[in-house]
Amino acid sequence: MSLALEIVGASKAFDGRPALKQASFSCGWGEVHALLGENGAGKSTLMNVACGLYAPDEGSIAVDGQPAAITAPADAAKLGIGMVHQHYKLVKRFTIAENIVLACRDALGMRRPRDAAEAVAAKAAEVGFDIDPGAVVGNLSIAEQQRVEILKVLLLGARILILDEPTSVLTDQESVAALTFMRRLAEDGHAVVLITHKLREVIGYSSRVTVMRGGETVLAGAETAGLDAATLARTMVGEEGEEQARRDRPLGDVRLQVEDLTARRAGGIGVDGIGFAVRSGEIYGIAGVGGNGQQELADALTGLRAPTQGRIAIDGTDLAGKAVPAFRRRGMRAIPADRFRNGLLAELAVYENFGVTGVPAGDYGSPALVRRGAMKAAAARAIDAHTIHGAAPGTAARLLSGGNAQKLLLARELKGEASVLVAHSPTRGLDVSACRTVHDLLQGAADAGTACVLISEDLEEVLALSTTIAVISRGRLVGEFAAGEVSRAEIGRLMLGHA
Amino acid sequence: MLSPIYLVPRQQSPLWMRVATFVGGIALGLLIAFGILIAYGVSAGQVINEFIVFVFLDLNGLAQVVTASTPLVLVGLASAAALKLRFWNIGVEGQMWLGCIAATGVALFDIGPDFFRLPLMFIAAAIAGACWIGIPAFLKLRFRVNEIITSLLLTYVAYQLVQHLLFGPWHDPGSAFPNSRHYDEGVERLARLGWGSSHTGLWIALGAGVLLWFTMSRSRLGFYMDAIGANVEAARAAGVPVVLTTAFAAAMSGGLAGVAGAGLAAGQEYRMTLFIAGGYTFSGIVIAFIGRFRPIPVIVTAFVVGGVYTAGDTLKVFYQLPAAITTLIEAVILFTFVVVEFFSRYRLSWGVREHA
Repeated sequence: MSLALEIVGASKAFDGRPALKQASFSCGWGEVHALLGENGAGKSTLMNVACGLYAPDEGSIAVDGQPAAITAPADAAKLGIGMVHQHYKLVKRFTIAENIVLACRDALGMRRPRDAAEAVAAKAAEVGFDIDPGAVVGNLSIAEQQRVEILKVLLLGARILILDEPTSVLTDQESVAALTFMRRLAEDGHAVVLITHKLREVIGYSSRVTVMRGGETVLAGAETAGLDAATLARTMVGEEGEEQARRDRPLGDVRLQVEDLTARRAGGIGVDGIGFAVRSGEIYGIAGVGGNGQQELADALTGLRAPTQGRIAIDGTDLAGKAVPAFRRRGMRAIPADRFRNGLLAELAVYENFGVTGVPAGDYGSPALVRRGAMKAAAARAIDAHTIHGAAPGTAARLLSGGNAQKLLLARELKGEASVLVAHSPTRGLDVSACRTVHDLLQGAADAGTACVLISEDLEEVLALSTTIAVISRGRLVGEFAAGEVSRAEIGRLMLGHA
Repeated sequence: MLSPIYLVPRQQSPLWMRVATFVGGIALGLLIAFGILIAYGVSAGQVINEFIVFVFLDLNGLAQVVTASTPLVLVGLASAAALKLRFWNIGVEGQMWLGCIAATGVALFDIGPDFFRLPLMFIAAAIAGACWIGIPAFLKLRFRVNEIITSLLLTYVAYQLVQHLLFGPWHDPGSAFPNSRHYDEGVERLARLGWGSSHTGLWIALGAGVLLWFTMSRSRLGFYMDAIGANVEAARAAGVPVVLTTAFAAAMSGGLAGVAGAGLAAGQEYRMTLFIAGGYTFSGIVIAFIGRFRPIPVIVTAFVVGGVYTAGDTLKVFYQLPAAITTLIEAVILFTFVVVEFFSRYRLSWGVREHA
């Protein structure tokens, strides 16, 4: 029997940075095939190639044994490939039937939601979904919205279903139902590709598994039955690599003390009773898979989100419930995960971005007036000191590249006395040399006595820099280790919630 | 197959391009407006006469433009101060009415010594306008209520209040119309400049412009306004006091609108009538947008729109054009300005996409 989907030697680079390196993948009919890997391993990129969203730089695709030319999502749909993305593409104000007509009117040959309602109801009954085609999508739960997305691809005639992290937003019970459904689809003869980083889903529900790491396929289509969690975790995160030289430095007093910190966000996991302490000179690394409460933790630590309970003490003073200015006055500095959304003022000049945090403290002028000249001069010095390329004080910040924008942010946050630095994914999207600069700056801050919290989804980075390593999962810290006293595999296992 | 057209963002636009955009956008808008007028049956020569010769090249016309522009400068500045940080004050007229009520109250009840009566009228007007926008500002900052709705609806509340006063307690018994008593001559009226109907309100408007320019470009408050306008999330994370700054900017906006209302009453009507503030919200937003929320270009724009007002009045009377003609021309200028502005930020590129 021919393979349902086969990708050979796919490579893809974005702006010269490779996301896929000769990756391959094959999946047969009637199987749930897990595609496992860390964030950024290339799983979604590879599957976006299969469904026509990205054109690969090289490589070939075959569907049902026939070479396929897929250059657009429409080609993929014709070949029976359908993908349910992580972010649903539904119009919230429309009913289910209206959404389906919007996406599938040609496949259905129908243009009126009223006509489509019957077809939708029939298909839903066929696959065992209990949904009302007239229901407004905005009123549905996330799990129900996911079913609408699945119905959409099925009605488009998909026989190869690709689901990108389908359970990341579902509760445990909903996940079980969704995964059971995927198994049933496979038993009906569909090919189901399950992109995931959850080991228990791989072991519990897939028949074969492909593992990716750093854009390459490191385990191709192995039978799941013969694999255990430890082996999979090791394959996913890699063997113990060459350790980067971690700088040892004397640790001082506790500068950041967090106790029983709880903060919630509608629709998110939030943080749930987190406690830890960071000393002067320490880099406290928090590893974890994205979406496990990192954003809420970073927001709470920097004063952007008021915790519902708990203490955040900087140098002994509890600041929980205070706003950002109070935190900053105590020397709290932050590198946000999204530098252009939460860090920089893209439309303003470099010097204004550099000076904006100093103004409330009265760095440039009096409470009434701002001396922009002084600010420009200080910014010019910082540009030289940090070799921020392509920047004059008057350049608009939006014109800076990612690496230089990050250097600007760090230059701003690390000037003066920083007691605590919260860096959230500080090297996301940066090239190798910019990464190294950022790492040097973080180490330099620790050398100078700052207590650093490094929240990162990049395990490599956490291991390379941290004095202490903790793991966050479902809003809780599930382990804390001194550097060198824990294996990658152990951390990988904890990250995946497979304790 | 047709080759695709891409919009490529320009890097920083130089000063000359920004000036050219500003002037070109207004000029193109006027040209299109002329086309509409010609289509309406006004001859090209008449259009040029009414718009250029009698308005900007004639001393009496110019005096009329200055008079019409005086409140426009103030409402343009009022809108700019709020829109700068994306606070949508759609209730400039309401704040003007409150300014008018406060000034009229001071005048009717002869509050304060004579020599200080006029300043007191304007101070009261500024405070009243600021308080009126204070309601939407408080609701937005405390309860996240959309200020567009609240500020707009409060305009109608303000107008009801004006009607109540003019048909009731403040009605001038000597008049058949709903007007207040006249302001006292010499004490409660802005002096004429001796040039048409222009009055010293012009100096108040220009002074407010200079003050706002100084605040926005030199003060800490102005710096905070820049930061919040650019990215409120990042500004908050950087420790900028977002709530306090927004409250201040809103208060400045309402205060300027209040002063505009008082200026119309004390400089032109010499009493409160039912027609003082009508239509200024729209003009304020147009002027603030075209002036990119910067005080100096806002003042320039206000004089252009003042010219449109003046010419529009003539056209209405002598060519039997509908009253909406002024608004139509304003709208056309705004549209062309927005389009021209867009192309100063992006350029078209045919064919292969270039790598930046």
